[in-house]
Amino acid sequence: METTTVAATQTKTIAIIGNPNVGKSSIFNQLTGLHQKIGNYPGVTVDKTVGFLRLGEKSFDLIDLPGTYSLYPKSEDEVIAHRVLNGLGEEKPDFVLVILDACNLERSLLLGTQVMDLGIPMAFVVNMKDLAIKKGIQIKTFELYKLLGVPLVLTDARNNEGINAIRQLMAAEKFESPKPLLDSYSFADASLIGEVMARFGFTTPYQAFQLLVFGEFDKTLPPSDKEWLQEKSKIFGFDRKKQQIRETEARYVQIGEILKKSVSKEKIKSRNTTIALDNVFINPVFGFVIFLIIMLLIFQAIFAWASIPMDWIDVGFAGLSGWIYDNLPSGVLTDLLAEGIVPGIGGVVIFIPQIAMLFGFLAILEDTGYLSRVVFLMDRLMRPFGLHGKSVVPLISGMACAIPGIMAARNISNSKERLITILVTPWMSCSARLPVYIILIGLTVPDTLWMGVSLQAVGLLAMYLLGVLFTLLGAFVLKYILKTKENSYLLTELPIYRLPRWKTVLLTMFNKSKIFVLEAGKVILSISIVLWILASYGPSGSMQALEEEKTAILQNTPEEERSIVEESFASKKLEASFIGILGKAIEPAIRPLGYDWKIGIALLTSFAAREVFVGTIATIYSIGGDVENELTIREKLEKEVHSDTGEKVFDKATGFSLMVFYAFAMQCMSTLAVVYRETKSWKWPVLQTLVMTGIAYLAAFITYQIFS
Amino acid sequence: MTAAQLSLQQSAIIESIGESDISINFLELGILPGKEIKLLKKAPFGGPMAFIIEENIVALRQQEAILINLKS
Repeated sequence: METTTVAATQTKTIAIIGNPNVGKSSIFNQLTGLHQKIGNYPGVTVDKTVGFLRLGEKSFDLIDLPGTYSLYPKSEDEVIAHRVLNGLGEEKPDFVLVILDACNLERSLLLGTQVMDLGIPMAFVVNMKDLAIKKGIQIKTFELYKLLGVPLVLTDARNNEGINAIRQLMAAEKFESPKPLLDSYSFADASLIGEVMARFGFTTPYQAFQLLVFGEFDKTLPPSDKEWLQEKSKIFGFDRKKQQIRETEARYVQIGEILKKSVSKEKIKSRNTTIALDNVFINPVFGFVIFLIIMLLIFQAIFAWASIPMDWIDVGFAGLSGWIYDNLPSGVLTDLLAEGIVPGIGGVVIFIPQIAMLFGFLAILEDTGYLSRVVFLMDRLMRPFGLHGKSVVPLISGMACAIPGIMAARNISNSKERLITILVTPWMSCSARLPVYIILIGLTVPDTLWMGVSLQAVGLLAMYLLGVLFTLLGAFVLKYILKTKENSYLLTELPIYRLPRWKTVLLTMFNKSKIFVLEAGKVILSISIVLWILASYGPSGSMQALEEEKTAILQNTPEEERSIVEESFASKKLEASFIGILGKAIEPAIRPLGYDWKIGIALLTSFAAREVFVGTIATIYSIGGDVENELTIREKLEKEVHSDTGEKVFDKATGFSLMVFYAFAMQCMSTLAVVYRETKSWKWPVLQTLVMTGIAYLAAFITYQIFS
Repeated sequence: MTAAQLSLQQSAIIESIGESDISINFLELGILPGKEIKLLKKAPFGGPMAFIIEENIVALRQQEAILINLKS
């Protein structure tokens, strides 16, 4: 008894694989629900999703492999499928579950039979049986089982049908290792296959054939192995491309034979809803109109609707800081907690509404099948800029916030197009720039009508257009700078239209927010704590002296004037802090842009986030009262003059120059953190910051010189 | 004739797939010799083309569509 219990509780791993749009994630989500963990595969940017499932005494780890049409990797996603199933650098799963499309058995069996030839115990799930029945496709399951030698289950995952059958199959571990469909030795020399099998410890010849075909694309394979494979291929005259096509054609011939015996099709003249809808959705005119309306809706959501929960988060964390001050003994640790850590965490959490909303919408668009249509419509417009049809969504969401946009660039399979999208998205005018623009436009652009339109509104529009223009220009330049061996191509299925599955949508929103908080959150929190320390501490003694001076003055100040004293000291303390000293140190560098050291300090602190500019300016010019009230700040700043010349600080030249600086500079550590997370290296975020800030400096310099 | 030359709603039988780095991608998607292919829509300004192959819709750029040789 004892021993069987131990054996039964051992966790087995099952890899789930299938074509894109086959309902694979639907099945995965039905089986595992919220018991999912997202991690990383080493060396690539692909997320590793593992779900946990308990069936009676047994427990299973389910690995959700990326959707692929074959085991020939052309993208990072597909490399992962290949590596996991061959146990290269990853633990080989105990079993494989291949999801097939009942309406497209021929195509899905291309992948299905490739898995068969690898020799891992497996089972088939034939999904979307409801659609197959509607189309008059009849699958003789027993016949198919006899021909393939693989157990199979028929399901309709969207309606939760057949999911229990999958559970029973797993619980009974009814997986079988079938006979290979193809003889790998007819595509490569037997001794070549033998040598590869020996070197890599493979158990089936098909594994060796696979490695021969695409070892050179596998970035995670050691160079010595690659060279060895190339050397051997040359010696044996193995023509990779030719044999790959021969194999695929041979496979289709065999699959055709099998399906002839096991599937029958009645001619049902059914109305094809998808084609009817596509007559509108990808129509050269209406298609763009509908796309524009949908994008406006999404933009509205991440711009306006998300601001409601964001305000709650803002108020909530401010309240928490206040509570900490009131209830904890005053001291350095309380300060750190209330002014460094809590606002730092708040600065991470504040992005969740935007990220969740964008990914919610994206999941709906993808699940309904519409997203592929966007790619179809926009590809031509994006290509001259070195971008892909898939770059549209990241760029547009960048107008609300670059962070979810950059995360959404993951859908672009060509690495160059993806990198360009990631690098230029922060130039789209995000919502954090808005408060900065509003204050500065209020200060520098007269509030008059020009041809019936507010001149200030024109100013704001100009800033947004500047952002779009430079995003595209930047992409255009990067197209010539970045090198790639990959060819850009578009070869994609436009899947049938279906209603979205809300469970999938909610899980996507949850998982994407979680990834952001756990991974980018660390960087954001660390930087904000450093910034806080720099802004709260100065060289020894200087802060202490100011504090004592304040206490002394406060004792002789009547109650009603105390807040004025507090404000002037807040300003003095910021000036004496490390960041204040830094601000003064960079003054010679920013003088040509029209900025004094006070603005310099604001430039430094707003690296945390652009909108921090407003708060810092309010503190440094000791503006009391409600700092959220932009009018108060504007009136105060209006009166600021240079002490030496008596001229206005925020004149047209300085104001325009500052706006241009904020349009181009990478003033956002959260974006930096997300670029790091999405490119898996510090090279790109650091380069991006340097280049963006350099261009911002130049552009601001030119602007100032023109207007002064 | 290639698939890039089809006019809207016109269909033809695929004869072969031209040699290219992405030939294998066509095969994977089920774009195989002997199958019927029909042009459903074209995106404006020489953008991608949407074809129907066995009730599935597949989008290609013109540079990919010229690789699909058709029986005349």
